[in-house]
Amino acid sequence: MTEIKFIVNGKNVKVAVEPYIRLIDLLREKFDLTGTKEGCGVGECGACTVLMNGRAVNSCLVLAGQIDGNEILTIEGLANHNALHPLQKNFLLHGAIQCGFCTPGMVLSASALLNKNPNPDEEEIKDAIAGNLCRCTGYKQIIEAVKETAKEINSPSKQL
Amino acid sequence: MISSLEILIPKNLNEALSLLVERKNNCRIIAGGTDVVPGLQQGSNRFANSELLIDINRIPEIKSITQTREKISIGGAETFSDMLQNQIVKEELPLLWKACSTIGSVQIRNRATIAGNFVNNAPCADTVPALLVYNATIEVESLSSKKEISIGEFLTGPYKTKLNKDEIVTRINIPIPSKEFRGDFYKLGRRRAVAISRITLAVLTKTQNHMIDEIRIASGAVTPIGIRFSDLEKLAKGKYADDKFLKLLSQKLGEQILNVTGLRWSSEYKLPVVQQMFYQLLKEIEHG
Ligand SMILES: Cc1cc2nc3c(=O)[nH]c(=O)nc-3n(C[C@H](O)[C@H](O)[C@H](O)COP(=O)(O)OP(=O)(O)OC[C@H]3O[C@@H](n4cnc5c(N)ncnc54)[C@H](O)[C@@H]3O)c2cc1C
Ligand code: FES
Ligand code: FES
Repeated sequence: MTEIKFIVNGKNVKVAVEPYIRLIDLLREKFDLTGTKEGCGVGECGACTVLMNGRAVNSCLVLAGQIDGNEILTIEGLANHNALHPLQKNFLLHGAIQCGFCTPGMVLSASALLNKNPNPDEEEIKDAIAGNLCRCTGYKQIIEAVKETAKEINSPSKQL
Repeated sequence: MISSLEILIPKNLNEALSLLVERKNNCRIIAGGTDVVPGLQQGSNRFANSELLIDINRIPEIKSITQTREKISIGGAETFSDMLQNQIVKEELPLLWKACSTIGSVQIRNRATIAGNFVNNAPCADTVPALLVYNATIEVESLSSKKEISIGEFLTGPYKTKLNKDEIVTRINIPIPSKEFRGDFYKLGRRRAVAISRITLAVLTKTQNHMIDEIRIASGAVTPIGIRFSDLEKLAKGKYADDKFLKLLSQKLGEQILNVTGLRWSSEYKLPVVQQMFYQLLKEIEHG
């Protein structure tokens, strides 16, 4: 067992774990953050995406012992208390969620993009979510939802 | 499943190199972990017996990109995302930049590192053809030594390199190519796609009035490891780059690939594709 300290969804936490467990297992099992999903377990599907220090990573490819001192954001930490994040709202509005399995990872990839580049073109959106597979929607609605969110962010009058 | 492992995160190079000496029998370096973690999970032989992982992601000495008058120096633990955002890499080393942009997904590129790519040295390691045509040299350090060797010499076979157990790849040094070079990197097929459809090529040429002054050609994925084709490069020197010669060169490339691979793979399908791609690439470079 090793003691690791890190920040998850804005909270400082300290936990004793086997350092070789994966970040996804740490989040789901020790912190009950089950919004992070496991699809493939080998870095191909993106269902396990979380933000580490603001960057999208596959939590199935990071080991718990590597994250000491880092800041992790999961889908549970994206909403501002009870108000949905604009991306979450627009995913709902645009039918970008069907079974929902890919959604947490998809939304986090999109939010990492918008934080860095508030005005992405379609190619940039596609590249940002290329590591997130969706079996249901065909991506069109997802891309629309991201575009709409970008528009809202860029016109302050319409902001929530 | 991983059954037991210790993980340490050294804060500087010296600390990491000391650990490699103290714990030499059972430790392994982990950078982005995009090859190591799936390997450990799947119980791959290559990663068996690891008891300690040394995470090298927080060592400032191996994380920067610097430029002097003659060379660009890239830290071994630099991620593909950081390289893609770097203006020096983008402007001076466009083939390497393009290769990095084709790797995995954003999530993979945010973690995966350049040294991890060629130390793992899978046949499909995408940075290798670009590093080969740029004449990159690899700086390797241990507690007691420091050496610099060419990338071609460093890579010895599929999943094999000259790296010793107590060493870390600290930097990748690339002489700044003269502005007269033109070139391109070409990649066909996804990593997990059947091996047969996976092809990478990198070409750099310098021509004067359509006369080939210098050409550098490297492949990956079609050959067991990425290699340079020096026979072809010699053959092309001084030749007039007309359509006939470019076709001949493409045909010769196919023959050379057959030579190194010893006809192991289904050449019938792949060979014409490689030749055609190479020919297209040459034509585009030549005609801009
Ligand atoms: C979903 C997915 C898609 C991928 N797509 C591609 C692709 O399109 N193209 C491609 O080329 N690769 C691809 N890869 C493979 C992988 O991401 C790359 O090879 C990556 O560059 C490995 O770097 P890393 O830092 O993650 O290496 P790690 O997994 O951390 O390490 C790999 C090996 O290198 C050693 N090592 C790492 N850094 C050093 C160093 N500085 N000095 C000495 N030894 C070191 C480690 O000990 C280990 O043996 C993909 C992988 C996944 C999971
Ligand atoms: S579960 Fe991590 S990428 Fe698929
Ligand atoms: S909504 Fe079902 S996988 Fe994307």
